[in-house]
Amino acid sequence: MADFEERGTLLGDENEGPLAGRQEAGGPERPMSAICDPSHLLHRVVVLVFMCFLGFGSYFCYDNPAALQTQVIQDMNLNTAQFMQLYAWYSWPNVVLCFLGGFLIDRVFGIRLGTIIFSLFVCIGQVIFAAGAWANHFWLMEAGRFVFGIGGESLAVAQNTYAVNWFKGKELNLVFGLQLSMARLGSTVNMNIMGWVYNKVAVAVGSSGHTTLGISLMIAAGTCVFSLTCALVLAFFDKRAERILQKEQGRTGEVIKLTDVKDFSLSLWLIFIICVFYYVAIFPFIGQGQVFFIEKFNFSPAQARAVNSIVYIISAPASPILGFIVDKTGRNIGWVFAAVIATLCAHMMLAFTFWNPWIAMSLLGVSYSLLACALWPMVSFVVPEHQLGTAYGFMQSIQNLGLAVIAILVGVIVDIRGYLVLEVFFCACICNSLLFSVMISLPAGEDLNRSAAARAKLQKEMSTDAE
Amino acid sequence: MSAAGIGRVFVILVVCVFSSCESLFIGGDSYKRELTVKLYPNTTPSGGELLHVRAVGGNDTLHFLFCSQGAPTLLIVHTNSSSSTVKVNWPEFLARNTSGSLTVEPQSSVLYSTAVVFSRLLEYDDENDTAEAKSNFFPAYKLKDFIWTRMNLSDSTATLCGSPPRPGNGSLCLQLSVFGSEGRVDLEPRLLHSANSSQLEVWLNGLPPRSNTSRFMLELEAVGGAYPLSKVDVRKFIDDEYTPSIFQVSLWVSSPNNGSDILGFVQWKPVAYRTSRPSLEDATPCRNSDPRQQSGNSTSASSALIKAFYSDPAAMGMNVSFGIAGEPYYNSTMFLSWTMLVGVGSPPIDSFSPLVIGILTAGLGIPIVLLLGGGVFVFIAKKRESSVAGYEPIN
Repeated sequence: MADFEERGTLLGDENEGPLAGRQEAGGPERPMSAICDPSHLLHRVVVLVFMCFLGFGSYFCYDNPAALQTQVIQDMNLNTAQFMQLYAWYSWPNVVLCFLGGFLIDRVFGIRLGTIIFSLFVCIGQVIFAAGAWANHFWLMEAGRFVFGIGGESLAVAQNTYAVNWFKGKELNLVFGLQLSMARLGSTVNMNIMGWVYNKVAVAVGSSGHTTLGISLMIAAGTCVFSLTCALVLAFFDKRAERILQKEQGRTGEVIKLTDVKDFSLSLWLIFIICVFYYVAIFPFIGQGQVFFIEKFNFSPAQARAVNSIVYIISAPASPILGFIVDKTGRNIGWVFAAVIATLCAHMMLAFTFWNPWIAMSLLGVSYSLLACALWPMVSFVVPEHQLGTAYGFMQSIQNLGLAVIAILVGVIVDIRGYLVLEVFFCACICNSLLFSVMISLPAGEDLNRSAAARAKLQKEMSTDAE
Repeated sequence: MSAAGIGRVFVILVVCVFSSCESLFIGGDSYKRELTVKLYPNTTPSGGELLHVRAVGGNDTLHFLFCSQGAPTLLIVHTNSSSSTVKVNWPEFLARNTSGSLTVEPQSSVLYSTAVVFSRLLEYDDENDTAEAKSNFFPAYKLKDFIWTRMNLSDSTATLCGSPPRPGNGSLCLQLSVFGSEGRVDLEPRLLHSANSSQLEVWLNGLPPRSNTSRFMLELEAVGGAYPLSKVDVRKFIDDEYTPSIFQVSLWVSSPNNGSDILGFVQWKPVAYRTSRPSLEDATPCRNSDPRQQSGNSTSASSALIKAFYSDPAAMGMNVSFGIAGEPYYNSTMFLSWTMLVGVGSPPIDSFSPLVIGILTAGLGIPIVLLLGGGVFVFIAKKRESSVAGYEPIN
């Protein structure tokens, strides 16, 4: 799934939640037990649990096609190009929705109703997807993924807004980190469990086939129903807290103005290009990686799914640690450079050798986490604060556009020219990313590659100048 | 899907551009042979023709003999003279009583000979979907009892179809292609062949299976005078361009004293296709058993060509089974095709295509060149800066 979680960490520091300011103003009128008191930590921890599971269902179901690749291809009689359409259709609505998500939550629906609506889209989308498999209509499965996509990314915006609303300051970083880890946990669990679920259903039904696939996907939709329940519970808690503490409904705080696009600097466009070229070599690869590992390295389907999920498993603990390191040392371009080179090595290992793919995939997991921690903050260094919302929205949008187009191209390449050409194509994309990450140090090298100490000093000077 | 269509067109365009430069890159084997084809037809009711293709090189000749009398057989004889010929005593050949009715003249020029006999088609009931091929065998089809049609010749390919003696639809066909130079057939698995090899494609079309869960196995026998094909090597390679998702090639080789010299080979990729227009989604893996010694006499009895050429043949048998656990059964498409190369000398080795080399050079080379160039440029600029003595401000 596109890396929305990482950028949430960065907006969090700027927006201290309304709960923080209002705590003294409207305290509870009568004494409550700690767990029922919305301003007390214990209650907020309970709310945090529901907040984390809010996104679990959508991350679980996003990678269902990857986890069941051989079954989907065989039961629905597809080639790889058609299979990758399932990922492309998820990304298409998000090309537009990345701009609209914040707007819909702030102006149209409000956070509570917005979250419930987006959870409903996720749930209904997955049910349509499963129904399409059950009825043996591939077009219905694609429609289901489209509806699922409408809800998926916007739900992440809502999840972040809730977090900002309920937590503040240093807590917020921890909360974002937890939400990210839960998301990765959802992806990992999906990769490793869905195959087993399918086999059990096949035994119960008697044979494999599109009916078995439909039933397995319906079972996966259960996680989406669970997330919908979390959304309803969160809405209840939020309404109650609003009543007790007399605060406003949370807002995303993002301002999206499309006219700001003309003000974007060259270095920002270079960051966008680095982002696109990098991520199209990660997500579409994982999306159809299972068959690659089975065919080239003679893995069993269960082993292939496990090695495919290692990127997510590593990313869950590595992201907070690497984020801490990058925050402490600065020099973002250097870290981006290191991450891109490491990814290039990983893809070259997978392409040109028969070495154990666990090595390459672990390297891929670490470098993917490193790049996320180093690249997304760079946007805030080159863009003034009032344009941050638009910049991030645009970055998400371009990323989804790249993923949608490249997902289809990946499928076509595998069908007509095989996996070596595909890996060489990924290497070429990463090399482009490398090229642009070197180019970016020409106009903005000093700015983006400052050490953390130098940056802190500069900020202090700027704030003393302003006074 | 217009988006997929555009993607497909783009990739095909890039492939075409690079493929057109392919001739510049194949430096490898430019050895060429002249081919002459002769067919010995058989007007007797028992059918069975003999095809002789003579491939003449600079100072050697390869004789390809393909016969449908009895079990279909391909015999390759390698001689060290460019004027060797094949002499057939046709009545004795048809009588199948004595050996020596087919000889290569002059006898002393024969360097090596190898033959492949398609002896049986086995069918087993895979009810538990394990593809173990150990039990539940139906009575095997003996290919020597099949009724073979006339050979259909075109260019340098010969197609032969046969159906079981029981009346009914369905046939097993073999197509032999002999090549005069190195190249690659356009249909998957797109095996690379040299001038020293021929390609045999075997396909099963419409033969009614005897159960809904049956899978097939093909039994091959390799016959040679002194050194028949004895062991199967599996070689892995990283390039699956020509056969997407297949990273191995299997070689049934004859190497005397387990040395590294290969005298003759049968080469194939462990994949079979379930439709006549093969593509990645129709591929099904195939596996082979270990070659085992067979009785040379029974092979002679089943194939007229073996009887005619070899006086004391040594035979090794091997089974190729199609499909593994989880793959669709034969009755999903009622079609199975498998391709192999049979040849003498060293087997052809695949290499990267110009497309891959081009993308690698461009994709890796350009950034490296730019990085080095940029680094040099920055270094020179910095040096120039520091060498300019400017006025220092006073404070």
